[in-house]
Amino acid sequence: MIEEEKIFNKNILIAVDESENARRAVSYVGQLLGDVPGFKVTILHVVPEPEADYFPTSTQKEEWLTQYILKMDALLEDYRQLLINKGFDPKDVAVHSMLRYCPSMAACILSERDKTGSSTIVVGRQGLSRSEEFLFGSISSKVVNHARNCTVWVVE
Amino acid sequence: MNKTLSQETLKQMVSRWLPPHQVPRRFRIHTDTTNFVQVEYDDVVILSDRHYLIRHNAKEQRFGLDDEVKFWVKRAIDLEDGSLKIMKLVFYERFMSRIGDIEFERFRSPKKEARILDLVSGHKNFMHGYSIKDEKGNLIRILDFIKGKSLAVHIENMVMDHEAYYHERFPEILDHFFECVQSIRFLHENGERHGDLRRDHILIDRETGDYRWIDFDFNYKHRENIYGFDLFGLGNILVFLAGMGDVLLPDLKREAHPCLNTLSDADLNIIFNHRVVNLKKVYPYISEPLNRTLMHFSKDANWFYENTVQLLDDLEEVKNDH
Repeated sequence: MIEEEKIFNKNILIAVDESENARRAVSYVGQLLGDVPGFKVTILHVVPEPEADYFPTSTQKEEWLTQYILKMDALLEDYRQLLINKGFDPKDVAVHSMLRYCPSMAACILSERDKTGSSTIVVGRQGLSRSEEFLFGSISSKVVNHARNCTVWVVE
Repeated sequence: MNKTLSQETLKQMVSRWLPPHQVPRRFRIHTDTTNFVQVEYDDVVILSDRHYLIRHNAKEQRFGLDDEVKFWVKRAIDLEDGSLKIMKLVFYERFMSRIGDIEFERFRSPKKEARILDLVSGHKNFMHGYSIKDEKGNLIRILDFIKGKSLAVHIENMVMDHEAYYHERFPEILDHFFECVQSIRFLHENGERHGDLRRDHILIDRETGDYRWIDFDFNYKHRENIYGFDLFGLGNILVFLAGMGDVLLPDLKREAHPCLNTLSDADLNIIFNHRVVNLKKVYPYISEPLNRTLMHFSKDANWFYENTVQLLDDLEEVKNDH
């Protein structure tokens, strides 16, 4: 019996943060697909809701959050421009930034993937040592291990 | 609004719990504990009409270092019922901590400790207490004093050879430790981390024999695995218990221990490179399931525990094998 061919869409979700490896992931997609028509990219940034315990007062928490979101908005625009400069049509590059309680960033990324239905997730590799991964876990490893119904690109 | 009692009334209250020569002539009274260094021996702190006579600052000793005085942690007597309490005043600190070559951010949170105290109220494997605000809104934690030694001291004081320890004492200790891991699972299931799981943060309650976790105010900035650092702490305690103390590479070298012929880098703790984790190479009678569990904390580990349930599953097997 011939299995029915699975259909993959051309929607790509790049999960980013402020790290260099995130920029590499964006750059990789730009270089690889910038001139190829038909692909749509969503740059996803999940702002993890800061833990209340981290700040002595809620005012301090709000101040931090405001500054952080401003900084990230600028960075996300920078990533968007990077893709456009590599040949993406501006209408095919969306930015999605959201504040979420996020005990696991990988789980948050995957849940956004499920909502968008993108066939491909792109993340940068953090380059953690074994011991760091042991102590704190790795987002890219977890995304790879837990992703379903999509392909994951981990950009070195 | 706090009710201020006269000096004479305070003296009468203190006289109920202290011998006459220890009753101070005058009391300095605090209703605002913001400057905790000024809260000193023989002072009285009033919190919601309850009066506490301050005794010594708490000290913490670890790894043979000098005692570190914690000025924000006081011993106190609750003058209503004479019970001994630990009073933790508000002290915020954030700092970068280093474990091996890994740096990460840690911080203290009175709110977290207060929340966990509520959560674990009545749970036999945790310290108990309550939180209360002073007149400036500082969230103070009042803890029941636990009489008993720490697990670290308990193990370090054992005078017997390892094989006898392993066969005669370790099974019971493992049962208690299993309960400790279950209680951390309970925290995790409720979205809380302990944040500072160490062998000297388990006290063995002299009255009940229960192992009880203390000190919940530390937290750390987590990355992907929110409970990873707690699991690492549990692993370190397990290795310590299985080895009847830390089995250190320099000690083995000093003794020219025969296991050195077979020990390799892979047998050491994934973070602390001088601690041996593959204890079966040192103590061959250690069971396979136990050693397999220990090896999840070694450099050779190819799979890391992500949660306490996984660790408990393996410990269950270790217990059954004993």
